[in-house]
Amino acid sequence: MVLCFIAFFVFAVMSIFSAKYRPLAKEGFRCVFRTLMMKPCDTGLDERIKADVVSAVLKYSPPLAKVINGHFAALSWLFVIITLASFAYTAVGVYNFYVYGNCDGPQAIGACILNDITGDYGRFSEPTDLIPPTALDGMAAGNASANVTIIEFGCFTCPYTKKAESTMKTLLQRYNGTIYYVFKPFPLPNHPYSQDAARAVLCAYRQNKSWELQDEIFRQQQVCSEEGALALKPLAQNAGLDMAAFNRCFDNNETGAELERYVQEGRDAHIYATPTFFINGKPLVGPKPIEEFEKAIAEAGG
Amino acid sequence: MNGIRRDFPLLGANPQLVYLDSACTSLKPAQVIDAETSYYTQLGACGGRSSHALGRKTTEKTEEARENVARFVGAEASGLVWTRNTTEGLNMVASGLDYSKRRKVVTSVMEHHAVLLPFMKLRDRGQIRLEIVGCESDGTVSAGRWAQAIDRETALVVTNSGTNTTGWKGNAREVAKIAHDSGALICIDGAQGVAHGRTDFRRDDFDFLCFSGHKMLGPTGIGALVSKRQLLDRLEPLMSGGGTVKAVSGGKIDPMNDQTRFEAGVQHYGGILGLAAACDYLKKIGMEKVEAHEKTLGMALRRELEAVDAVIYGPADAAGHSALYSFNLKGKPHDLALMLDRQGIAVRSGFFCAQPALEALGANDGAVRASCYVYNTVDEVNKFGEALRKLRQLY
Repeated sequence: MVLCFIAFFVFAVMSIFSAKYRPLAKEGFRCVFRTLMMKPCDTGLDERIKADVVSAVLKYSPPLAKVINGHFAALSWLFVIITLASFAYTAVGVYNFYVYGNCDGPQAIGACILNDITGDYGRFSEPTDLIPPTALDGMAAGNASANVTIIEFGCFTCPYTKKAESTMKTLLQRYNGTIYYVFKPFPLPNHPYSQDAARAVLCAYRQNKSWELQDEIFRQQQVCSEEGALALKPLAQNAGLDMAAFNRCFDNNETGAELERYVQEGRDAHIYATPTFFINGKPLVGPKPIEEFEKAIAEAGG
Repeated sequence: MNGIRRDFPLLGANPQLVYLDSACTSLKPAQVIDAETSYYTQLGACGGRSSHALGRKTTEKTEEARENVARFVGAEASGLVWTRNTTEGLNMVASGLDYSKRRKVVTSVMEHHAVLLPFMKLRDRGQIRLEIVGCESDGTVSAGRWAQAIDRETALVVTNSGTNTTGWKGNAREVAKIAHDSGALICIDGAQGVAHGRTDFRRDDFDFLCFSGHKMLGPTGIGALVSKRQLLDRLEPLMSGGGTVKAVSGGKIDPMNDQTRFEAGVQHYGGILGLAAACDYLKKIGMEKVEAHEKTLGMALRRELEAVDAVIYGPADAAGHSALYSFNLKGKPHDLALMLDRQGIAVRSGFFCAQPALEALGANDGAVRASCYVYNTVDEVNKFGEALRKLRQLY
């Protein structure tokens, strides 16, 4: 009878597309309803499913069919639990996608998938399609004449960009003077206030305090995503910025054109997720383990 | 029996089907289907009422059918009342008899619900005293048990001329004699018996015989109650209405004085013609041949069931046994029937509308029933056995 829960769901979905499944969906519903009312299922749907499954398996493996036949109720429960768990997992994924722009949530290793900007959906496994940018303008750190250049496209309200920040800081310390790091803001439209955060950090960069502000923003990323400018200004103050200059820059959208240029670079590079790194042109998508960066740096001659 | 299968369109359309559920309802040959259809294509009118040509023709054909069907069971047409099925006939007898002088009705635990329920209802209303005779461990009901229960208080004895649970053909003729010796009437549930063996209403000295068309190759929705002519006059009709009266005038009813007083409303003329065609079909084969064929099939069925160590309900003796067996393997009967169905074998599972009978046999969760008829072959029974052997691996 427990199998009717799954049958109802499956047949209900299938009956949207084909009328022949509607009687089965009705049977499933009746069975579910009766089960919830603590009455035995009287449709026989579960018995027919059992007969179908066991008969099909019997053709190929009588011993397996015997196991299924003998433990069908227990297997049904297991199947239902697995199915419900997968539904729950899917629901969490959908929630994460809605809130964080990815299915795995803020703590997962991954990247914030894009995107309305480039339209390059679903190419997560094909970073070879990425085109390295040629311009080195952006928020830079390290030795401009170093052999190895790391360009990052990131979004300040993306949890994965936040995750990668500590890796970048470590690399800048570890490869002191031998790498050149350029951050190009690439605010994702599906992250609230990502544009504001990017403009704010560009304003801070003018005061040579971009790291300080982005540290603050990453620390309060959730609040920034919820409140935008209301949160960004106190954070700018915490970061020790000249607030008069910052307010002028931010309120007058002085960095808007600059930001649009970086976004266009991202479009041209076919960025589909943040953070995306180019290490001497070789792309890496997502906050990869530091070892991968080190390997890429070594390959680049660093 | 060679070539019979060609007459059955359903078998032609489903050549892989092994239909072993004839005790529930039989398949229909083209001759029966054509006869039933002929009413709609060639007659289409009311019988016994309309005086136009089609009406007269309908009356003529249905009365010919009455003669034909009555002859098939060795009875007179004047004692044959059309019913929807066996159940309706049994209800007509149960509710139509007068129990004021003798209140006792005797039947057995091996009967179909169609027998038991109408009389249990009368018992619950206090109109009769009902005695239900038990059975032996193999489901047979001995003459001794009947004789012990039937006495001078007994108005009616009801039993079958073939059970739908064990395939035992019963001892209806013997029971009829015991009943008559005590002055009681005998009513036979002929649902299985008429379909699977020669029935002679007069020779066997039955008082009432009820049977259905659909179990004997005929259409659904048509059956008959056969009665001794003089007993019909003692029977109160179950229903009244159009066609049952000569006149209704001055507030008084003047009922018909023949069997049509039981046939209220327009009848199932197509079904009547189909049932007559079924009788013709079976007569053409010969009921002796039908019985012999079923005996062969029955023995094959038993052999296959024994080969898988099935629990078989009913007498072990093949004599007096039709090609019908109820059985169980380990596991639920319904599951087994469903899995046989997936292998193209149609059988029945459950209590077969005879729960007291199956419980008396120890099949408290029901059983699986395989039942054959004229169109089945030994090859099909072998396929059934093969499927059972495969399914036995599940237990």
